[in-house]
Amino acid sequence: MNKLWWLILTILCLAGAGFFIFRMFPDQGTSTAAPATAVNRIVSLAPNLTEILFALGLGEKVVAVSSDSDYPPDAANKSKVGTFWQPNTEAIIASKPDLVITEWFEQQKSVAESLKRLGYNVLTLKIETIEELLAAIKDIGAATTTQSCADKLVQDITNRLDNLRAKLAGTKKVKALWVIQTEPLRVAGRNTFLNELIELARAENAIGPTIQQYPSIGTEELLACGVETIIQSAMGADNITDQRQAAEKFWSKWPTLPAVKNKRIYVIDPDTTLRLGPRLCQGLELIARCLHTDM
Amino acid sequence: MTQVLTAKSLGIRITLCLAALIVVMGLCTLVGSQKVSLEKVFAGPGRSPGENIDYEILVGIRLPRVVLAALIGAALASAGVVLQAILRNPLADPYILGISSGAGLGVIVAIISGITWNFCGGSPLSVFAFAGAIATVWLVWLIGHVTGKSQVTSLLLAGVVINAFFSAVIMFLTSITKSNQLLSTILWLMGSIRQQDALVLRISAASILAGIIALFIISHRLNILSLGEYEAKALGVDPAKTRLLAFSFSAFITAIAVSLSGLIGFVGLIIPHSVRLICGPDHRQLLPISAIIGGAFLVVADTLARTMFGQEQWPVGVITAIAGGPFFLVLLARYSRKVSRLK
Repeated sequence: MNKLWWLILTILCLAGAGFFIFRMFPDQGTSTAAPATAVNRIVSLAPNLTEILFALGLGEKVVAVSSDSDYPPDAANKSKVGTFWQPNTEAIIASKPDLVITEWFEQQKSVAESLKRLGYNVLTLKIETIEELLAAIKDIGAATTTQSCADKLVQDITNRLDNLRAKLAGTKKVKALWVIQTEPLRVAGRNTFLNELIELARAENAIGPTIQQYPSIGTEELLACGVETIIQSAMGADNITDQRQAAEKFWSKWPTLPAVKNKRIYVIDPDTTLRLGPRLCQGLELIARCLHTDM
Repeated sequence: MTQVLTAKSLGIRITLCLAALIVVMGLCTLVGSQKVSLEKVFAGPGRSPGENIDYEILVGIRLPRVVLAALIGAALASAGVVLQAILRNPLADPYILGISSGAGLGVIVAIISGITWNFCGGSPLSVFAFAGAIATVWLVWLIGHVTGKSQVTSLLLAGVVINAFFSAVIMFLTSITKSNQLLSTILWLMGSIRQQDALVLRISAASILAGIIALFIISHRLNILSLGEYEAKALGVDPAKTRLLAFSFSAFITAIAVSLSGLIGFVGLIIPHSVRLICGPDHRQLLPISAIIGGAFLVVADTLARTMFGQEQWPVGVITAIAGGPFFLVLLARYSRKVSRLK
C-alpha cells in the first residue's frame, strides 16, 4: 500500500506543477458584463421561453431561438441557434445578444457558463412546475424591464386557473391516466408535472404512488385501476388523426375498461400541455374538456 | 519488424506527429458553423462582450474546445494502449474495467441529488463522474487482487461484473428521475466535448499530460511484460508492480477524460490498434504516437460533430463510431494481408 501512496503523491505533484506552469499564461476573455440597462437583442434556448418572451411583447427584440421554438408563427422565422438539447454557442455569439435566456439543466447550463465567462448577460431559469413558471415570467420581466407586462401575464394565468377551478368545483372527480407511450405502456406517475395538470382539472391519477416517475404498467394493474378517461399526448402535432386511430385500435384490446367502453380516449396536441409556457391555461382547458364532457 | 528503435528515430517520429497534430488543430480551429475573419481576431478582444465576436468565437469558444478534444483523444488512446498491454487482450479499451459505469453512476447521482455547487470551476457532474470512475476502478482492482492468482483474468472478470451491476443500478436510478433529467443524463453519457472553465481545462491538461508522460517512462516495461509474466520476471521486471503503475496512471487519465466529456467510444480501441498495425508493437513508440494520433483523430471528429449538420451539434461519440469503425476495418484488411505476405 505504501507504493500506492507514493504514486498518488507523485501524480498530485506532477498535476500541481503542470497547473502552475499553465497558470503563467494570462486569462483571456474575462471582461465583466456591462450592467443590463435596456435589452434589445434576446436569444431564447427553449420553446416555452420563446413563448413567454412573445407574450411579454418582446417578439421584435428576440433575435434568435432554439430550432424547436415554433410558436407563435413569428418565432419560427427567427434565426436558429441549435437545438434545445445541443445549443450552438458560436451561433449564439454570432447573433450578438445582450441577453441569453436558458433553461436549468446540464446541457444548457454548460452553454450558459461559457457565455458568462465571456461576459455575456445570461438568465438561467428552472421551470418544472406551474409555480416555477409564474416565477420565471416575473424574472424575465425584471431582466427585460417589462415588469408590468409580466405581472399582468402572471395575473391572467392565475385568474384563468382560478376560474377553471371554480367551474370544476362541483363536478365529480374522474379517474384518469396520462399515457406517455403505449408499447410498453408507460404512464405519468403521481410525482410529475402532468399529474399536477390532471389534478388541477379535477381528476385523480388512476395509478397510485409509484417509485418511478413515469412507471411502465402491466395489464393486471391497468384492468384493476378502473380508469375512466385516458389521455395520450401525441408524438408531434402533425399526424394526430393517424395517432388517434392507432390509439383506438390499441385500447380496443381491453373492452371492459370503463374508458374504452365509454369511448373516452383522447389523443391531444402536446405543445400546449407539455410546454410550461403562457399557453398552459389553453392546454389545461383542453384537458378539462376531455375529463368532463359536460363542460 | 527487424529494425531497432533508436532514440533518434523515435524523437524524429514523435516530432513529426506532433507537428501534424498542431497543423490539424490549427485547421480545425478555423472551421466552424460561423465564418470568422482572422484579421478581426488578431485585433484582440473588444472592450465589452459582443464588440469583437470573431475573437470571442475563435479564442473564447473554439480554441478551448479543440485543445480539450486533443487532450481527451490523447488520454483515451494512451489508456487504450496500456490496458491492451497489461490485460493482454485486444478487446481491451479504457472503459473495460468499470470506468464507464462508475462515471455514469456518479453523474446520475449528481443529477438526482440536484447538487449545484462547483468545485474548482468543475461542474458537479464532472466531479461526481471523476469520483465514481476512480472509486469503481479501485473496487475492481481490489476484487481482482483479492480473488485470483491469475490477476489478469480476475481483473477482467471483476470489471465485467462491476460494469453489469452498476449498469443495472443506473437503469434503476434513471427510471425514477424526471424525464428531462433522464435525457440530460443520457446525452451527458453519450459523450460530447463541452466548453469547460479555464481553470478546469488547465488542471486537467496538466494531469493528463503528466499521466501520459508517466506511462511513457514505464513503456519499456510494458514491452517486457507482453512477453509473458515468467519471462518478465526473468528479465528483472516485477509484473505485479508494473501492472499496478500502468493501471493506476491509465485509470487516472481515463477518469479525467470521462469526467470532462462523458463516454467517447472507439478512440481508445481503434487508435492503438491502427498505430500498432502501422508502426509495430514497441510500446516506447506505440504509446506516444497513439496519444498524438488519438488527439488529432478526436479533434477532427469533434470538428465534424459541430459543423457537419449546420447549427446542430452532434455527440462526438456518434462520429467516432461511424467514422472510426469502417476506417479501422480497411486498415485491418490491408495490413493483415501485407503481414501474411511477409511471412
